[in-house]
Amino acid sequence: MLSYLLSRLKYLKLLGQNYKLSQSNSTASKDKDEKSTTSYLSASLKNNLNLFKESLGNNYDVVIREFTINMPKQVDGALIYLTGMTDSKIVNDSILKPLMFESQLDKTTLTSKLDTIEMIRTTMLSVGEVSKSNSINDLVDNCMAGTSILLVDGCTEALLIMTADWKARSVDEPKTESVVRGSREGFIENLLTNTTLLRRKIKNPDLVLESMKIGQRTKTNVCIAYIKGLANPSLIDEIKRRLNNIHTDSILESGYIEQFIEDAPFSIFATVGNTEKPDSVAAKILEGRAAIFVDGTPFVLTVPLLLVENFQTSEDYYSRPYFVSFIRLIRFMAYLISILAPATYVALTTFHQELIPTPLLFSMASAQEGVPFPAIAEAIGMGVIFEILREAGVRLPRPVGQAVSIVGALVIGQSAVTAGLIGAPMVIVVALTAVASFVVPAQTDSGGVLRIVFVALAGFSGGFGIMIGLIGLFIHLTSLRSFGTPFLSPIAPLSVADLKDTFIRAPLWAMITRPSFIGSQDPKRKDFRLKPSPPSEKESQSE
Amino acid sequence: MRLEKGVISSLQLFFLVNCFIQGALLPLTFAYPISKHDTWLAVIAAMIIGSVIALVYISLANLFPGKNFVQINDLIYGPYLGKFISSQYSLFFLITLSGYLWFIGDFVLTFIMPETPMSFIMIMFAFVCAWAVRQGIEVIARMSVVFAFIPAIIVFITSAMLLKEMKFTNFLPVLEIPIRDLIQSTHIITHISFSQVLVFLMIIPSLNEQRRAKKPILLGMISAGLILVIGTLRNIATLGPLSPVVTSPSMEAVRLIDIGKILTRLEIFVAMAQILLLFTISCIFYYAAVLSIAQMTKLRTYQPLVVIIGVLSIVLALISYQSRMQLSYSIMYNTPIISLHFYLVLPFMSLIVAKLRKLPQNNGRN
Amino acid sequence: MKSVKKVVALMTTILILSLGTTGCWNRRELPSLGIVMGVGLDKSEDSGKLEVTAQLIKTSELNSGGTGEGGGGGSGGSSAYWNLQNTGESMFATIRGFTHKSSRKLYWPHNQVIIFGRSLAENGVQEYLDFFVRDQETRLEVYMLVAQDKASDILDFQPKLEKIPAVGISELMESQDANSQTCVTQLNEFVTRLMSPTTAPIAPIIKIEGPGAKSELSVEGTAVFKKDKLIGQLTKEETRGLLWAINKVKSGIIDVKCPDCAGTVSLEIIRSKGKITSQIIDSKPSITIEIEEEGNIADQSCDANLVAPDATEKLTKQAEKAILDEVESALKKSQKLKADIFGFGDVFHQRHLKEWTQMKDDWDEIYSNLEVEITVQAKIRRSGTIGRPATPEKEQ
Repeated sequence: MLSYLLSRLKYLKLLGQNYKLSQSNSTASKDKDEKSTTSYLSASLKNNLNLFKESLGNNYDVVIREFTINMPKQVDGALIYLTGMTDSKIVNDSILKPLMFESQLDKTTLTSKLDTIEMIRTTMLSVGEVSKSNSINDLVDNCMAGTSILLVDGCTEALLIMTADWKARSVDEPKTESVVRGSREGFIENLLTNTTLLRRKIKNPDLVLESMKIGQRTKTNVCIAYIKGLANPSLIDEIKRRLNNIHTDSILESGYIEQFIEDAPFSIFATVGNTEKPDSVAAKILEGRAAIFVDGTPFVLTVPLLLVENFQTSEDYYSRPYFVSFIRLIRFMAYLISILAPATYVALTTFHQELIPTPLLFSMASAQEGVPFPAIAEAIGMGVIFEILREAGVRLPRPVGQAVSIVGALVIGQSAVTAGLIGAPMVIVVALTAVASFVVPAQTDSGGVLRIVFVALAGFSGGFGIMIGLIGLFIHLTSLRSFGTPFLSPIAPLSVADLKDTFIRAPLWAMITRPSFIGSQDPKRKDFRLKPSPPSEKESQSE
Repeated sequence: MRLEKGVISSLQLFFLVNCFIQGALLPLTFAYPISKHDTWLAVIAAMIIGSVIALVYISLANLFPGKNFVQINDLIYGPYLGKFISSQYSLFFLITLSGYLWFIGDFVLTFIMPETPMSFIMIMFAFVCAWAVRQGIEVIARMSVVFAFIPAIIVFITSAMLLKEMKFTNFLPVLEIPIRDLIQSTHIITHISFSQVLVFLMIIPSLNEQRRAKKPILLGMISAGLILVIGTLRNIATLGPLSPVVTSPSMEAVRLIDIGKILTRLEIFVAMAQILLLFTISCIFYYAAVLSIAQMTKLRTYQPLVVIIGVLSIVLALISYQSRMQLSYSIMYNTPIISLHFYLVLPFMSLIVAKLRKLPQNNGRN
Repeated sequence: MKSVKKVVALMTTILILSLGTTGCWNRRELPSLGIVMGVGLDKSEDSGKLEVTAQLIKTSELNSGGTGEGGGGGSGGSSAYWNLQNTGESMFATIRGFTHKSSRKLYWPHNQVIIFGRSLAENGVQEYLDFFVRDQETRLEVYMLVAQDKASDILDFQPKLEKIPAVGISELMESQDANSQTCVTQLNEFVTRLMSPTTAPIAPIIKIEGPGAKSELSVEGTAVFKKDKLIGQLTKEETRGLLWAINKVKSGIIDVKCPDCAGTVSLEIIRSKGKITSQIIDSKPSITIEIEEEGNIADQSCDANLVAPDATEKLTKQAEKAILDEVESALKKSQKLKADIFGFGDVFHQRHLKEWTQMKDDWDEIYSNLEVEITVQAKIRRSGTIGRPATPEKEQ
């Protein structure tokens, strides 16, 4: 850890030394970029094709199809596209076929003053999305994204014909967030499909999907989704500012974006949320948040993120409130257990034995008799072993994973206790912790770190150490902000109205306002008096 | 120019004051040996007197909205005398902070870990305090909202659980002690909790509605005072004649809870709650000390002072107190007299001088 | 840049803090504790010094079958406790002296009982109690008992149901509510009484009854202290008399004679309330004890039909009489001992502060001649699951 930090420091020093140099370099390279983009199409098809061949290189998936356009006056043309990324049906039936055989042009159109390329666009292509461009770079970029480029001899502009289509996974149930009740759809790797899934939930022109490209080399499509009038404009500006500041060569997953835009990069708590489910994205956007879609990943980022969101699931709102409220409390308890149980056990057995009820002390003492390790070593050791087992189980193919869990459970759990290496209570505590840590999947990682920290604190200074750790944790959580919103927000700073959806989940008809720290643009969510009541009562009242 | 950019709401100020006063439940121990089973009367008296004193502080703050205590002193007494008075207060905050650090160290040593060196406890505790102070008043205030509830709930629940053990005849005879002792005890309680709201003169400028400090502060004092009274009643009713003898009546009283052999040994919760409260109090004094020094020395930010003041207060605590007996003697007999100067004389004088010099109007024109 | 520095500073601080703490001052692993479950204090017969018996549990034996000598047999038959003895002058020095003999440091918070040997109690217990009140490891809710003879014998008596004698004794104390003939006393109650200038501390008496192998532990009666010295004892009936007055009767049986014939009827106490009030009339202090009792018919040896209003009335009268007798006997005994076990002094102190200042100096004399009025109101509520006894119906 320390060495990592040192190396980082060295790197930063290096950066500092080369700051001026890199500054001038970057401006120079920017100039160069601009210069290269200034190459435009010429009127000669041959020259243009050569230009393209030059910039696209000898890629085997690039198809350059030269043909003759069947207009009254025959014109040479060429279609450039990537085979794997385009829909061959569109290319064949909607571009090549009409251009080569089915010219609908008659004399009147011919006499019009339109130039050739505009004529082709307006009268011959039966494809939805067609645009024009004359910049080679622009054309190549688009080509790389699956657009077909139609070059026509004698024209200094080319047509960009939207043909992008490639094999993608079909929409199916998300693996990470399975539900009993509720939508089974999950996002996939295709950005367009993902935004469509969202659009299908919110059929409203106010749903804004703003797109941008990030990554100098990967040119990844990123899309910000929010509802105009609900999301705070300053939040959207802040998101755009942060996204525009990302100067990196590659964005491969939304995790990349997350790490570049989060508020507290050193915190163990994520301040940017992610989800795979369109319905939860829709719900969050409807509360006034914004979502960031990234092409190539089913994980959509949502900001701002509050701590309590980790304890909520989309299903909470589909089920009836009593049980959900109970489950919410269970989740908070489980999270506390998952970070505090081993530490509490260590503190109790090594510092505060007087707090253990006497009969329990008897059984614990006799179980611990003859165990060679101190409790803190046991706790840390078992914790690490558990993490190893978990990691092994996650990465391995499923059949092997089962073998791992059997070996882990039997060998480490059973045999270690019978051999007297580990006390049975410790195994129970670690097992309980492990199970509890899965209750709140979004915080499993932070829980793992905190658990070790608390065990260390408890091992060194018992309950007082745990207390100090809790206060420190609380200070940290209170000072965290996610895109300007206090991370711990309905709790600290306290917002009594928002507690309706924190530890408990109030009935939907009672949740009239949006969370005050997020949806203040348009606080009212629904009408008053939505509480269902039997019809007879109303009738009798009206009569 | 303001040193603190954070803004707190009046609700947060209410809870901050509430935490601040509730934290006296443990230091109240010092009053028990003097007023015995009438301590609860002393707490009520101290609450009333403290509220009156707090009114003086608030009217002082209202005369100079947006100004903290150091700036007020400068305005009232001029740059030199004002600085002198402010530095007295800075030192006073520092000494109080070190007293609290020592108190928490002593508390942990007596009840949790008797063999641990106290400096270690104090360093750990001062470390989290410094951390919170660095984050600013906003974070401290937000935390106090949560911290105020936990001890209050614990006091109520333990009182309910101890109903079985309570003997209400323990309060009889009412006012057995001479009235002199009651006054002394009231004075001690005023000194260790209620009149310490003076320190909020450093915090009121961070309030979002500056002239509305009166309601949250008074309500905070009274609500927390009532919790103190309930806690004191619980201790006396449960422990009876033992309450003046034991080192910490709250801890000992809660130790006696035994419901069905399961709900027992609950004093750990009292200890936890008290650590939370003492943390808030220490943070407030820490913050006040740091902010007042930064204000006097005209620093751009108070952050660099945090570590220095922390180290200083630990050293101060370690050299000024040797034993629990000494601490309790000094809190019972020495510091109440000295504190009169800070809590009563100077603020009253400031208010009178300000009125005589008709300062706020001048200030308004400027 | 700045934040990195901050993190480095934080990390080093944490590192230094945690490295500095590896001394681990208060760390005690469970296997290193000698958990004390009971302690007996005696006066050594030879030297007259203090003799402390501490009962430690053998954690390794706890789960390995066998309840000591009694049920053991086999290989795992060794007992689960170990009685450790040490003699010395002062309490704390004697207790620390155990470290010479025990490999594990004695651990007190789970101590269940403190038993004083009779001879020690007669010489005063104050100096030995201070440790139990002052030390942060000890707790105030331990049971206080006085042994009829030597405390160490009591602690060495293997109970038949529990593995550890001290646990057996503490369970025994908890079951005493069923007859209310033992004044179950916790340390805090004892100390509270000890701190009062007049009230006499009390503690139950424990003794070994019966000969040899058939002997049993038994708790009954009350040891009465004057200041901190044992001066006398109450029988179990007198004890209940005391408990009636100080409102500590939970349950129990009152045997009365059947109003119709020679049989015995047992009434089970289900609720009771005792109240002590004080009056000073013409500077003459007096006390009123009011007792309310509710009971059920639990058992009858004759075949009389008691489920009739007049029979119940008579039974009630008899029950009241029985209770009155018990209270009076306790009062008489205590007045003879000049030990204010009822706490009348405190009542006067609380209600009549002005007069009390004159009374308190010769309280012993006042107490022994104090006028006490006892009123008892008994009620019989139910007769169990049968009405008249299950006998052939009598001709009326």
